[in-house]
Amino acid sequence: MRGLLLDHVTRQVDGRPLLDQLQLQVAPGECLALLGPSGCGKTTTLRVVAGLDPLSAGRIVLDGQDISQLDPGQRRVGMVFQSYALYPHMTVAENLTLGPRIRGMPSGEREERLAQILGLLQLEDLRLRRPAQLSGGQRQRVALGRALLRQPRLMLLDEPMSNLDAQLREELRPELRRLLVSGGHPVLYVTHDQQEAVGLADRIAVLDQGRLQQVGEPRELHHNPTNRFVAGFIGRPAINLFPPQGGRQLAVRPEHLHPVEQDGIPTTLMRAEWSGSQQVLWLESPAGLLRMLWPASQPPPTQCLVGWNPEDGLAFEERTGERLQRCEPSWSRDLIRFLEE
Amino acid sequence: MMRLLLLCWSLFPLLWQLRTSFLVGDALVGEGGGSPWTLQNYRLVLEGDPSLGRVLLNSAILGLVTTALTLMLAVPCAYGLHQLKGRWQPAISMGLVGAALFPTVLFFLSLLQLARWFGLANHLLALTLPYAGLSLPLAILLLRAAIHDLPPDLEDAARLDGLNPLQRLRWIVTPLLAPAMASTGLLVFLASWNEYPIALTWLSRSDRLTLPAAMGRIASSSVYAIPYGPYAAATVLGSLPLLLVVLIFQRWIISGLTQGAVKG
Amino acid sequence: MTANLLPLLLMVPALLLLGVVFLWPWAHYSWLSIHASSLLTGLRAIPNGGANWQRLVQDGRFWQDAFQTLRFAGVSVALELGLGLLTALILHRPSKGRGVLRALVLIPWALPGTVMALGWRWILNDPHGPLNALLQALGGGTYPFLASPATTWWFVVLADVWKTTPFVAIILLAGLQSIPRDLEEALRLEGAGVWSIFRRLQLPLLTPYLGLALLFRLAQAFGVFDLIQILTGGGPAGSTESLASYAYLQAIRFLDFGYSATLMLATFLILLTLSLLWLGGMRWSGVRR
Repeated sequence: MRGLLLDHVTRQVDGRPLLDQLQLQVAPGECLALLGPSGCGKTTTLRVVAGLDPLSAGRIVLDGQDISQLDPGQRRVGMVFQSYALYPHMTVAENLTLGPRIRGMPSGEREERLAQILGLLQLEDLRLRRPAQLSGGQRQRVALGRALLRQPRLMLLDEPMSNLDAQLREELRPELRRLLVSGGHPVLYVTHDQQEAVGLADRIAVLDQGRLQQVGEPRELHHNPTNRFVAGFIGRPAINLFPPQGGRQLAVRPEHLHPVEQDGIPTTLMRAEWSGSQQVLWLESPAGLLRMLWPASQPPPTQCLVGWNPEDGLAFEERTGERLQRCEPSWSRDLIRFLEE
Repeated sequence: MMRLLLLCWSLFPLLWQLRTSFLVGDALVGEGGGSPWTLQNYRLVLEGDPSLGRVLLNSAILGLVTTALTLMLAVPCAYGLHQLKGRWQPAISMGLVGAALFPTVLFFLSLLQLARWFGLANHLLALTLPYAGLSLPLAILLLRAAIHDLPPDLEDAARLDGLNPLQRLRWIVTPLLAPAMASTGLLVFLASWNEYPIALTWLSRSDRLTLPAAMGRIASSSVYAIPYGPYAAATVLGSLPLLLVVLIFQRWIISGLTQGAVKG
Repeated sequence: MTANLLPLLLMVPALLLLGVVFLWPWAHYSWLSIHASSLLTGLRAIPNGGANWQRLVQDGRFWQDAFQTLRFAGVSVALELGLGLLTALILHRPSKGRGVLRALVLIPWALPGTVMALGWRWILNDPHGPLNALLQALGGGTYPFLASPATTWWFVVLADVWKTTPFVAIILLAGLQSIPRDLEEALRLEGAGVWSIFRRLQLPLLTPYLGLALLFRLAQAFGVFDLIQILTGGGPAGSTESLASYAYLQAIRFLDFGYSATLMLATFLILLTLSLLWLGGMRWSGVRR
């Protein structure tokens, strides 16, 4: 079987699990984003797959071969570090070819590969520069080039965009996506920025506290979160989480809230945040602050009753946070009635 | 104002030596007429036995070889210490701190015994062994602190590039340690240039003396004799190379000292 | 354990040399200290039980030297810390040419102790040194700086303070510069003056640096040798002799290796006690904070 398989991958340090029985599969040519808050285990996952950190249990299988016990240098994985980790004392060309040189690749072949990669990434003019003389975007390309020159069977990227400014980040996204997927190998991409994950990845795996919460296409995560954590983590502005009632908790996305004539939650406008095509209204209500989307062209009401279509509500079990399969329309009505009083 | 005072305090004894070195003997004791200024003192120490030139050369060779040897031993050791896991690392580090603090003069008798056993006395370069040994604790601690400050991603990247630990030491760590090696090396060089008790006990042939040993020999001639002009000329000549080293490399030296402080 | 194999291998050459230089002497001294090994025995080592230690306990010169060494170390290190702090504060103030000033101030520390001890011997010379010339010009007589058993040790302290204050100053300067500028500025915005900045901000944060400088200098001053050997030779009348110079004298002048080793072990034990006291002190001040 081609592709990457993480089979019950577990990593414990001093008895504390950093990764707990992680199950993931990435197909060749697929880009999977690992998304989660800091400390959720996404970087650890990458390091374990690369072989930089040992795993305590489980298997890592790449193209049908168990690579769990191999040295990092033998795994043929390309990795781009958050800091890029370019060797500061070497030129771009030396940075790219250190690995092949150490492995004794003939210099002719090495030069050929180098030229190819430099061309692919448009780095020809920079080959004799040192990392300190490069811009952030150029460094990122060099780091990517170093990973690609290895002819990797798997690409790993750890927040490769986080050192770039916001504008550049957006500009580079399509090109990066093209480069990553063109190799036809699986790609694991760590980020904490869901916009980036949505823009780059085919599927997203959401991690929290070392556990896989949900994996799926962005749309699926958004519309059909398996638990409260994923619902709260995916989607901006964040979902509105209502006070629990009768052992369950309802949540409604900001885009699903709208003003109603009657049977709504009474709210007062606190602040309207303009964001180009839309505005986000922050509304004070008996349920706390609510977020509601509003057309940019219309002035927001200072006071209004707010409701939603009952089928748009998501219901979670209060204690475990697990998603309840059905969200009865009566629950929404009960909640609104309760909050009205 | 305060700064001026500070400068006077730091430099007065040196300047006085400089002045003394150009005075004829009679002028020193407040007698004699004619011009008191002379270069005679310098001629004396440069042509004396041992010639001060020879002495300075000895010290310089010894200092350079000691520095090279110390770094050659300390860099791999610091890297090893950095990689060491478990209880060993803090234990060895504590031991090194203790050793770095220790007044090394107390070892002279045992070291002298070794010199006797192995016939090392009067071999200038044999002194590099105890000198390097005595400098190692500080050198290892400084270099380890520097290794600790290197971005850990660099080594991880090198592991992915397939470099084994020795190759990482050679290709990644050592080149990046260059600044730390420079400041550590300068401190080692200063220590070797200035060391007295071991040179005093290991070296007796006058053409092998180092600067401190030569100074000691001058001093022990007599407390009341007054060839102070030549003494002063010797101290000036003995200080000049170091003055240059300090003024040129002050940044490195201070960063070495500072690293030591922050680390310790 | 296998993971540690390579690191340990890398450390082996350095550790071997360290062992020879730092550990073997203690074994050697311990062995020597229970042997008679001197001219009298024809430089052969003959076991003599605790005779060396017995002699040490009854040796007035040892106790006098121990006292003198402690006195020297205590007084000079106290002065060095005070003056070093002052120097560090002066160097810390931003000004033109601070780098050059820092380098010039560091010079006395970098020069060989032997060289400067010789310089001081001339400065303190009686009657031709500049200090005595100054005294005479002021209308007084000359003063035997290096020949007065009661006061000569003060001038040894002076020379040591001159030489090592820069070291302390640089350490403390590092401490001062490690304090974020913001903190100082925040305090100044609240109307604090130079003194209260020093008292409430700089001094507390300097404590670890002071502690480090104290320990290092105390240990080094306790082994004072070069300076005394050249400046006074331990005199006059043994009034400036240190434990290290006494041990040196026993070994090299009197060729009594057994007793010299005993002296050095005893010195080490005193130093160890002091270091443990220091550790306790640091822990105590840590607990207090």
